[in-house]
Amino acid sequence: MKRKRTLFMVEVAIFAAFALLLDIIPFLSFKVWAQGGSISLAMIPIFIIAFRWGLKGGLLAGFLWGVMQLLIEPRIFVPLQAFLDYAVAFTVLGFAGLFRNQVMSATKQGKTANMLTFILLGTFLGAFLRFTAHFIGGIVFFGEYAPEGQPVWLYSLLYNGSYMLPAMILSAVLVFFLFHKQPRTLMNAN
Amino acid sequence: MNNALIIGQYVPGNSLVHKLDPRTKITLIFFFVFIVFLANNVLSYSILTLFALVSMVISRVPIRFIMKGLTPIWFLIVFTFILHIIVTKEGSVWLEIYSFQIYSGGVFQGIAISLRFFLLILVTSLLTLTTTPIEITDAIEDMLHPLKKVKFPVHELALMMSISLRFIPTLMQETDKISKAQASRGVDFRTGSIKDRAKAVVPLLIPLFVSAFKRAEELAMAMEARGYNGGEGRTKLRELKINARDIAVYLLFIAVIAGLLLTRGY
Repeated sequence: MKRKRTLFMVEVAIFAAFALLLDIIPFLSFKVWAQGGSISLAMIPIFIIAFRWGLKGGLLAGFLWGVMQLLIEPRIFVPLQAFLDYAVAFTVLGFAGLFRNQVMSATKQGKTANMLTFILLGTFLGAFLRFTAHFIGGIVFFGEYAPEGQPVWLYSLLYNGSYMLPAMILSAVLVFFLFHKQPRTLMNAN
Repeated sequence: MNNALIIGQYVPGNSLVHKLDPRTKITLIFFFVFIVFLANNVLSYSILTLFALVSMVISRVPIRFIMKGLTPIWFLIVFTFILHIIVTKEGSVWLEIYSFQIYSGGVFQGIAISLRFFLLILVTSLLTLTTTPIEITDAIEDMLHPLKKVKFPVHELALMMSISLRFIPTLMQETDKISKAQASRGVDFRTGSIKDRAKAVVPLLIPLFVSAFKRAEELAMAMEARGYNGGEGRTKLRELKINARDIAVYLLFIAVIAGLLLTRGY
Protein backbone atom coordinates (compact mmCIF):
# COMPACT_ATOMS: atom_id res chain seq x y z
CA MET A 1 0.00 0.00 0.00
CA LYS A 2 2.82 2.35 0.99
CA ARG A 3 4.55 1.65 -2.26
CA LYS A 4 1.53 2.76 -4.23
CA ARG A 5 1.40 6.03 -2.36
CA THR A 6 4.89 7.08 -3.41
CA LEU A 7 4.25 6.02 -6.98
CA PHE A 8 1.01 8.01 -6.93
CA MET A 9 2.78 11.17 -5.76
CA VAL A 10 5.62 10.86 -8.23
CA GLU A 11 3.37 10.05 -11.16
CA VAL A 12 1.02 12.95 -10.47
CA ALA A 13 4.01 15.29 -10.17
CA ILE A 14 5.66 14.14 -13.37
CA PHE A 15 2.43 14.34 -15.33
CA ALA A 16 1.77 17.85 -14.07
CA ALA A 17 5.22 18.75 -15.40
CA PHE A 18 4.28 17.04 -18.63
CA ALA A 19 1.15 19.17 -18.93
CA LEU A 20 3.07 22.37 -18.40
CA LEU A 21 5.63 21.26 -20.94
CA LEU A 22 3.04 20.57 -23.62
CA ASP A 23 1.74 24.06 -23.00
CA ILE A 24 5.06 25.83 -23.41
CA ILE A 25 6.55 23.96 -26.36
CA PRO A 26 5.89 26.36 -29.21
CA PHE A 27 5.31 23.95 -32.07
CA LEU A 28 2.76 21.94 -30.13
CA SER A 29 0.23 24.67 -29.56
CA PHE A 30 -1.69 27.21 -31.56
CA LYS A 31 -1.64 30.66 -30.06
CA VAL A 32 -5.01 32.29 -30.21
CA TRP A 33 -4.59 35.26 -27.91
CA ALA A 34 -1.48 37.07 -26.81
CA GLN A 35 -2.78 37.27 -23.24
CA GLY A 36 -2.59 33.55 -22.65
CA GLY A 37 -4.99 30.94 -23.81
CA SER A 38 -3.88 28.73 -26.64
CA ILE A 39 -5.15 25.56 -28.21
CA SER A 40 -2.71 23.15 -26.67
CA LEU A 41 -2.47 19.50 -25.80
CA ALA A 42 -1.64 20.28 -22.20
CA MET A 43 -4.85 18.92 -20.70
CA ILE A 44 -4.10 15.40 -21.96
CA PRO A 45 -1.66 14.34 -19.18
CA ILE A 46 -4.10 15.60 -16.55
CA PHE A 47 -6.94 13.58 -18.04
CA ILE A 48 -4.72 10.51 -18.25
CA ILE A 49 -3.86 10.83 -14.56
CA ALA A 50 -7.53 11.38 -13.75
CA PHE A 51 -8.56 8.22 -15.58
CA ARG A 52 -5.69 6.29 -14.01
CA TRP A 53 -5.87 7.37 -10.39
CA GLY A 54 -9.37 8.77 -10.11
CA LEU A 55 -10.66 12.07 -8.80
CA LYS A 56 -7.93 12.72 -6.23
CA GLY A 57 -5.08 12.18 -8.67
CA GLY A 58 -6.72 14.31 -11.33
CA LEU A 59 -7.46 17.21 -9.00
CA LEU A 60 -3.93 17.12 -7.59
CA ALA A 61 -2.24 16.99 -10.99
CA GLY A 62 -4.41 19.85 -12.22
CA PHE A 63 -3.70 21.92 -9.14
CA LEU A 64 0.07 21.44 -9.49
CA TRP A 65 -0.08 22.45 -13.12
CA GLY A 66 -2.03 25.59 -12.21
CA VAL A 67 0.45 26.61 -9.54
CA MET A 68 3.38 26.09 -11.89
CA GLN A 69 1.64 28.08 -14.58
CA LEU A 70 1.31 30.89 -12.05
CA LEU A 71 4.98 30.64 -11.07
CA ILE A 72 6.11 30.73 -14.66
CA GLU A 73 4.00 33.45 -16.15
CA PRO A 74 1.89 35.22 -13.59
CA ARG A 75 -1.09 37.15 -14.96
CA ILE A 76 -2.56 38.70 -11.86
CA PHE A 77 -4.98 41.53 -12.52
CA VAL A 78 -7.51 41.14 -9.73
CA PRO A 79 -7.03 38.77 -6.75
CA LEU A 80 -10.28 36.90 -7.44
CA GLN A 81 -9.43 36.53 -11.14
CA ALA A 82 -6.00 35.10 -10.30
CA PHE A 83 -7.57 32.61 -7.90
CA LEU A 84 -10.13 31.47 -10.47
CA ASP A 85 -7.78 31.40 -13.45
CA TYR A 86 -4.99 29.50 -11.75
CA ALA A 87 -6.07 27.67 -8.61
CA VAL A 88 -9.61 26.72 -9.64
CA ALA A 89 -9.49 26.40 -13.42
CA PHE A 90 -6.72 23.85 -13.66
CA THR A 91 -7.77 21.86 -10.60
CA VAL A 92 -11.31 21.19 -11.79
CA LEU A 93 -9.94 19.39 -14.85
CA GLY A 94 -9.47 16.51 -12.43
CA PHE A 95 -13.22 15.96 -12.24
CA ALA A 96 -12.72 13.82 -15.34
CA GLY A 97 -11.57 11.27 -12.79
CA LEU A 98 -15.19 10.69 -11.74
CA PHE A 99 -15.42 8.36 -14.72
CA ARG A 100 -12.29 6.43 -13.83
CA ASN A 101 -13.97 3.13 -12.97
CA GLN A 102 -16.07 3.10 -16.12
CA VAL A 103 -13.10 3.94 -18.34
CA MET A 104 -10.91 1.36 -16.65
CA SER A 105 -13.40 -1.50 -16.88
CA ALA A 106 -14.26 -0.67 -20.49
CA THR A 107 -10.56 -0.67 -21.35
CA LYS A 108 -10.02 -3.94 -19.53
CA GLN A 109 -12.87 -5.62 -21.36
CA GLY A 110 -11.88 -4.05 -24.65
CA LYS A 111 -15.28 -2.39 -25.17
CA THR A 112 -14.22 0.40 -27.47
CA ALA A 113 -17.60 2.09 -27.74
CA ASN A 114 -18.02 2.27 -23.96
CA MET A 115 -14.47 3.49 -23.56
CA LEU A 116 -15.04 6.25 -26.07
CA THR A 117 -18.27 7.35 -24.40
CA PHE A 118 -16.81 7.61 -20.91
CA ILE A 119 -13.57 9.22 -22.05
CA LEU A 120 -15.61 11.83 -23.91
CA LEU A 121 -17.86 12.39 -20.89
CA GLY A 122 -14.87 12.74 -18.57
CA THR A 123 -12.83 15.08 -20.74
CA PHE A 124 -15.85 17.21 -21.58
CA LEU A 125 -16.82 17.50 -17.91
CA GLY A 126 -13.27 18.49 -16.90
CA ALA A 127 -12.80 20.92 -19.78
CA PHE A 128 -16.24 22.44 -19.30
CA LEU A 129 -15.58 23.12 -15.62
CA ARG A 130 -12.24 24.68 -16.53
CA PHE A 131 -13.97 26.83 -19.11
CA THR A 132 -16.51 27.92 -16.51
CA ALA A 133 -13.75 29.00 -14.14
CA HIS A 134 -11.96 30.99 -16.87
CA PHE A 135 -15.29 32.42 -17.98
CA ILE A 136 -16.11 33.76 -14.51
CA GLY A 137 -12.48 34.86 -14.10
CA GLY A 138 -12.87 36.78 -17.34
CA ILE A 139 -16.04 38.49 -16.14
CA VAL A 140 -14.25 39.54 -12.95
CA PHE A 141 -11.31 40.82 -14.97
CA PHE A 142 -13.27 42.69 -17.63
CA GLY A 143 -15.68 43.89 -14.98
CA GLU A 144 -12.81 45.61 -13.22
CA TYR A 145 -11.02 47.00 -16.26
CA ALA A 146 -13.57 47.62 -18.99
CA PRO A 147 -15.64 50.80 -18.91
CA GLU A 148 -19.15 50.51 -17.56
CA GLY A 149 -21.97 49.39 -19.81
CA GLN A 150 -19.93 46.84 -21.75
CA PRO A 151 -21.28 43.31 -22.19
CA VAL A 152 -18.48 41.73 -20.18
CA TRP A 153 -19.90 38.21 -20.23
CA LEU A 154 -19.83 38.24 -24.02
CA TYR A 155 -16.15 39.23 -24.15
CA SER A 156 -15.32 36.52 -21.68
CA LEU A 157 -17.39 33.92 -23.52
CA LEU A 158 -15.77 34.67 -26.88
CA TYR A 159 -12.27 34.99 -25.49
CA ASN A 160 -12.29 31.81 -23.45
CA GLY A 161 -14.51 29.80 -25.76
CA SER A 162 -12.29 30.47 -28.76
CA TYR A 163 -9.47 28.35 -27.40
CA MET A 164 -11.21 26.08 -24.89
CA LEU A 165 -13.64 24.49 -27.34
CA PRO A 166 -11.04 23.34 -29.92
CA ALA A 167 -8.64 22.33 -27.15
CA MET A 168 -11.37 20.26 -25.52
CA ILE A 169 -12.19 18.39 -28.73
CA LEU A 170 -8.53 17.86 -29.57
CA SER A 171 -7.73 16.49 -26.09
CA ALA A 172 -10.76 14.21 -26.01
CA VAL A 173 -9.83 12.67 -29.35
CA LEU A 174 -6.19 12.23 -28.46
CA VAL A 175 -6.89 10.78 -25.00
CA PHE A 176 -9.19 8.23 -26.60
CA PHE A 177 -6.50 7.46 -29.17
CA LEU A 178 -3.90 6.88 -26.48
CA PHE A 179 -6.16 4.56 -24.51
CA HIS A 180 -7.06 2.74 -27.68
CA LYS A 181 -3.48 2.27 -28.86
CA GLN A 182 -1.71 1.73 -25.56
CA PRO A 183 -4.21 0.24 -23.11
CA ARG A 184 -1.54 -1.80 -21.33
CA THR A 185 0.75 1.11 -20.49
CA LEU A 186 -2.08 3.26 -19.20
CA MET A 187 -3.57 0.54 -17.04
CA ASN A 188 -0.36 -0.58 -15.31
CA ALA A 189 -1.30 0.91 -11.98
CA ASN A 190 -3.81 -1.80 -11.23
CA MET B 1 17.73 24.46 -27.10
CA ASN B 2 19.96 25.73 -24.32
CA ASN B 3 17.84 28.78 -23.96
CA ALA B 4 14.63 26.82 -23.97
CA LEU B 5 15.87 24.77 -21.04
CA ILE B 6 15.58 27.67 -18.64
CA ILE B 7 12.11 27.38 -17.25
CA GLY B 8 10.17 30.47 -16.50
CA GLN B 9 11.71 33.88 -16.48
CA TYR B 10 14.37 33.63 -13.77
CA VAL B 11 17.37 35.87 -14.37
CA PRO B 12 20.29 35.00 -12.07
CA GLY B 13 21.67 37.94 -10.12
CA ASN B 14 23.09 39.16 -6.87
CA SER B 15 20.95 42.20 -6.10
CA LEU B 16 19.04 43.02 -2.94
CA VAL B 17 15.84 41.79 -4.55
CA HIS B 18 17.47 38.47 -5.46
CA LYS B 19 18.81 38.03 -1.95
CA LEU B 20 15.60 38.75 -0.11
CA ASP B 21 13.98 35.77 1.52
CA PRO B 22 11.42 34.35 -0.94
CA ARG B 23 8.82 34.43 1.84
CA THR B 24 9.31 38.18 2.15
CA LYS B 25 8.86 38.65 -1.57
CA ILE B 26 5.74 36.50 -1.72
CA THR B 27 4.15 38.27 1.25
CA LEU B 28 4.89 41.67 -0.23
CA ILE B 29 3.47 40.77 -3.61
CA PHE B 30 0.41 39.21 -2.05
CA PHE B 31 -0.36 42.50 -0.33
CA PHE B 32 0.68 44.58 -3.31
CA VAL B 33 -2.01 42.91 -5.43
CA PHE B 34 -4.56 44.21 -2.93
CA ILE B 35 -3.17 47.67 -2.23
CA VAL B 36 -2.98 48.52 -5.93
CA PHE B 37 -6.72 48.99 -5.71
CA LEU B 38 -6.33 51.59 -2.94
CA ALA B 39 -4.76 54.15 -5.23
CA ASN B 40 -7.26 56.57 -6.71
CA ASN B 41 -5.53 59.89 -7.34
CA VAL B 42 -2.33 61.25 -8.83
CA LEU B 43 -0.40 61.24 -5.56
CA SER B 44 -1.30 57.72 -4.48
CA TYR B 45 -0.59 56.35 -7.95
CA SER B 46 2.79 58.06 -7.88
CA ILE B 47 3.68 56.32 -4.62
CA LEU B 48 2.80 52.93 -6.09
CA THR B 49 4.68 53.61 -9.30
CA LEU B 50 7.70 54.84 -7.41
CA PHE B 51 7.73 51.70 -5.27
CA ALA B 52 7.49 49.43 -8.31
CA LEU B 53 10.10 51.31 -10.33
CA VAL B 54 12.57 51.48 -7.44
CA SER B 55 12.21 47.73 -6.88
CA MET B 56 12.78 47.20 -10.58
CA VAL B 57 15.91 49.33 -10.63
CA ILE B 58 17.54 47.78 -7.57
CA SER B 59 16.79 44.28 -8.84
CA ARG B 60 19.23 45.07 -11.67
CA VAL B 61 17.31 42.80 -14.01
CA PRO B 62 18.12 43.99 -17.54
CA ILE B 63 15.22 45.99 -18.89
CA ARG B 64 14.81 43.78 -21.95
CA PHE B 65 13.87 40.80 -19.75
CA ILE B 66 11.23 42.87 -18.06
CA MET B 67 9.94 44.09 -21.40
CA LYS B 68 9.82 40.52 -22.67
CA GLY B 69 7.53 39.59 -19.79
CA LEU B 70 5.31 42.55 -20.56
CA THR B 71 5.01 41.94 -24.31
CA PRO B 72 1.74 40.02 -24.20
CA ILE B 73 0.25 42.71 -21.99
CA TRP B 74 0.95 45.79 -24.10
CA PHE B 75 -2.01 45.09 -26.31
CA LEU B 76 -4.32 44.86 -23.29
CA ILE B 77 -2.93 48.04 -21.80
CA VAL B 78 -3.40 50.01 -24.99
CA PHE B 79 -6.79 48.46 -25.65
CA THR B 80 -8.22 49.32 -22.20
CA PHE B 81 -6.79 52.82 -22.49
CA ILE B 82 -8.51 53.47 -25.82
CA LEU B 83 -11.74 51.88 -24.63
CA HIS B 84 -11.88 54.20 -21.64
CA ILE B 85 -11.21 57.24 -23.77
CA ILE B 86 -14.02 56.35 -26.14
CA VAL B 87 -16.63 55.26 -23.64
CA THR B 88 -16.16 57.42 -20.56
CA LYS B 89 -17.90 60.76 -20.92
CA GLU B 90 -17.08 62.65 -17.76
CA GLY B 91 -15.31 65.91 -17.06
CA SER B 92 -14.74 68.55 -19.67
CA VAL B 93 -14.28 68.09 -23.39
CA TRP B 94 -10.60 68.20 -24.26
CA LEU B 95 -10.56 67.46 -27.91
CA GLU B 96 -13.18 67.38 -30.57
CA ILE B 97 -12.71 65.60 -33.86
CA TYR B 98 -15.81 66.01 -35.99
CA SER B 99 -18.61 64.75 -33.77
CA PHE B 100 -16.35 62.67 -31.59
CA GLN B 101 -15.27 64.10 -28.25
CA ILE B 102 -12.53 63.13 -25.86
CA TYR B 103 -13.30 63.93 -22.24
CA SER B 104 -10.78 64.64 -19.51
CA GLY B 105 -12.41 61.98 -17.31
CA GLY B 106 -11.87 59.37 -20.00
CA VAL B 107 -8.20 60.22 -20.36
CA PHE B 108 -7.61 60.14 -16.59
CA GLN B 109 -9.45 56.90 -16.14
CA GLY B 110 -7.69 55.33 -19.11
CA ILE B 111 -4.30 56.24 -17.70
CA ALA B 112 -5.18 55.08 -14.19
CA ILE B 113 -6.50 51.68 -15.30
CA SER B 114 -3.61 51.02 -17.68
CA LEU B 115 -1.13 52.03 -15.03
CA ARG B 116 -2.68 49.69 -12.47
CA PHE B 117 -2.43 46.94 -15.00
CA PHE B 118 1.17 47.68 -15.78
CA LEU B 119 2.18 47.85 -12.10
CA LEU B 120 0.57 44.53 -11.26
CA ILE B 121 2.33 42.75 -14.09
CA LEU B 122 5.62 44.49 -13.39
CA VAL B 123 5.69 43.56 -9.72
CA THR B 124 4.52 39.98 -10.16
CA SER B 125 7.03 39.36 -12.92
CA LEU B 126 9.72 40.88 -10.72
CA LEU B 127 9.08 38.00 -8.33
CA THR B 128 9.50 35.35 -10.99
CA LEU B 129 12.45 37.20 -12.54
CA THR B 130 14.42 37.21 -9.30
CA THR B 131 13.27 33.99 -7.60
CA THR B 132 13.63 30.43 -8.86
CA PRO B 133 10.48 28.31 -8.84
CA ILE B 134 12.16 25.99 -6.34
CA GLU B 135 12.74 28.88 -3.92
CA ILE B 136 9.11 29.88 -4.28
CA THR B 137 8.01 26.31 -3.57
CA ASP B 138 10.18 26.15 -0.44
CA ALA B 139 8.77 29.45 0.71
CA ILE B 140 5.18 28.39 0.15
CA GLU B 141 5.78 25.11 1.97
CA ASP B 142 7.12 27.05 4.90
CA MET B 143 4.32 29.62 4.88
CA LEU B 144 1.64 26.93 4.73
CA HIS B 145 3.24 25.01 7.59
CA PRO B 146 0.46 25.84 10.08
CA LEU B 147 -2.03 24.03 7.81
CA LYS B 148 -0.36 20.75 8.80
CA LYS B 149 -2.33 20.99 12.04
CA VAL B 150 -5.54 20.47 10.10
CA LYS B 151 -4.05 17.48 8.26
CA PHE B 152 -3.45 19.42 5.06
CA PRO B 153 -0.62 17.59 3.24
CA VAL B 154 1.70 20.60 2.90
CA HIS B 155 4.88 18.59 2.76
CA GLU B 156 3.58 16.15 0.15
CA LEU B 157 2.34 18.97 -2.07
CA ALA B 158 5.64 20.81 -1.85
CA LEU B 159 7.55 17.65 -2.64
CA MET B 160 5.37 16.98 -5.67
CA MET B 161 5.85 20.55 -6.76
CA SER B 162 9.64 20.20 -6.54
CA ILE B 163 9.55 16.93 -8.47
CA SER B 164 7.43 18.58 -11.16
CA LEU B 165 9.77 21.52 -11.51
CA ARG B 166 12.77 19.24 -11.52
CA PHE B 167 11.34 17.14 -14.31
CA ILE B 168 10.35 19.88 -16.71
CA PRO B 169 13.84 20.23 -18.24
CA THR B 170 14.28 16.45 -18.34
CA LEU B 171 11.00 15.96 -20.14
CA MET B 172 11.82 18.84 -22.41
CA GLN B 173 15.04 17.21 -23.55
CA GLU B 174 13.15 14.01 -24.08
CA THR B 175 10.51 15.77 -26.18
CA ASP B 176 13.22 17.40 -28.21
CA LYS B 177 14.93 14.08 -28.83
CA ILE B 178 11.77 12.23 -29.79
CA SER B 179 10.45 15.01 -31.99
CA LYS B 180 13.75 15.15 -33.85
CA ALA B 181 13.75 11.40 -34.26
CA GLN B 182 10.21 11.45 -35.62
CA ALA B 183 10.95 14.47 -37.82
CA SER B 184 13.89 12.63 -39.33
CA ARG B 185 11.43 9.93 -40.32
CA GLY B 186 9.28 12.50 -42.06
CA VAL B 187 6.71 13.56 -39.44
CA ASP B 188 5.81 17.22 -39.86
CA PHE B 189 4.68 18.94 -36.63
CA ARG B 190 4.88 22.51 -37.76
CA THR B 191 2.68 22.88 -40.82
CA GLY B 192 -0.69 21.71 -42.01
CA SER B 193 -4.22 21.98 -40.68
CA ILE B 194 -5.09 21.33 -37.05
CA LYS B 195 -6.23 17.85 -38.02
CA ASP B 196 -2.94 17.00 -39.74
CA ARG B 197 -0.92 18.32 -36.87
CA ALA B 198 -3.00 16.45 -34.31
CA LYS B 199 -2.33 13.26 -36.23
CA ALA B 200 1.38 14.04 -36.41
CA VAL B 201 1.48 14.48 -32.64
CA VAL B 202 0.43 10.91 -31.82
CA PRO B 203 3.82 9.32 -32.63
CA LEU B 204 5.37 11.93 -30.35
CA LEU B 205 2.90 11.57 -27.49
CA ILE B 206 2.99 7.80 -27.19
CA PRO B 207 6.75 7.44 -26.55
CA LEU B 208 6.60 10.47 -24.25
CA PHE B 209 3.85 8.94 -22.13
CA VAL B 210 5.58 5.59 -21.99
CA SER B 211 8.81 7.17 -20.84
CA ALA B 212 7.05 9.44 -18.32
CA PHE B 213 5.48 6.37 -16.70
CA LYS B 214 8.83 4.65 -16.67
CA ARG B 215 10.55 7.61 -15.05
CA ALA B 216 7.83 7.87 -12.41
CA GLU B 217 8.17 4.22 -11.56
CA GLU B 218 11.96 4.43 -11.32
CA LEU B 219 11.88 7.54 -9.16
CA ALA B 220 9.30 6.06 -6.81
CA MET B 221 11.41 2.94 -6.45
CA ALA B 222 14.57 4.95 -5.85
CA MET B 223 12.84 7.06 -3.19
CA GLU B 224 11.64 4.00 -1.35
CA ALA B 225 15.02 2.32 -1.59
CA ARG B 226 16.41 5.35 0.21
CA GLY B 227 13.79 5.06 2.90
CA TYR B 228 11.36 7.79 1.95
CA ASN B 229 8.21 7.50 3.98
CA GLY B 230 6.37 10.75 4.24
CA GLY B 231 7.23 14.12 5.72
CA GLU B 232 7.92 13.31 9.38
CA GLY B 233 11.43 14.16 10.49
CA ARG B 234 12.84 15.12 7.12
CA THR B 235 15.49 17.81 7.09
CA LYS B 236 16.27 20.34 4.39
CA LEU B 237 19.29 21.10 2.29
CA ARG B 238 18.40 24.78 1.93
CA GLU B 239 17.15 26.52 5.07
CA LEU B 240 15.27 29.79 4.74
CA LYS B 241 16.28 32.64 7.01
CA ILE B 242 14.74 36.06 7.67
CA ASN B 243 17.38 38.69 8.42
CA ALA B 244 17.74 42.44 8.86
CA ARG B 245 17.38 43.03 5.12
CA ASP B 246 13.95 41.48 5.11
CA ILE B 247 12.80 43.41 8.14
CA ALA B 248 13.95 46.66 6.56
CA VAL B 249 11.98 45.86 3.40
CA TYR B 250 8.88 45.03 5.45
CA LEU B 251 9.13 48.37 7.23
CA LEU B 252 9.51 50.18 3.91
CA PHE B 253 6.46 48.40 2.57
CA ILE B 254 4.40 49.34 5.62
CA ALA B 255 5.47 52.93 4.99
CA VAL B 256 4.21 52.61 1.40
CA ILE B 257 0.83 51.36 2.62
CA ALA B 258 0.63 54.19 5.15
CA GLY B 259 1.51 56.68 2.42
CA LEU B 260 -1.24 55.28 0.22
CA LEU B 261 -3.84 55.50 2.97
CA LEU B 262 -2.85 59.09 3.68
CA THR B 263 -2.80 60.33 0.11
CA ARG B 264 -5.75 58.53 -1.44
CA GLY B 265 -8.96 60.47 -1.87
CA TYR B 266 -12.02 59.26 -0.03
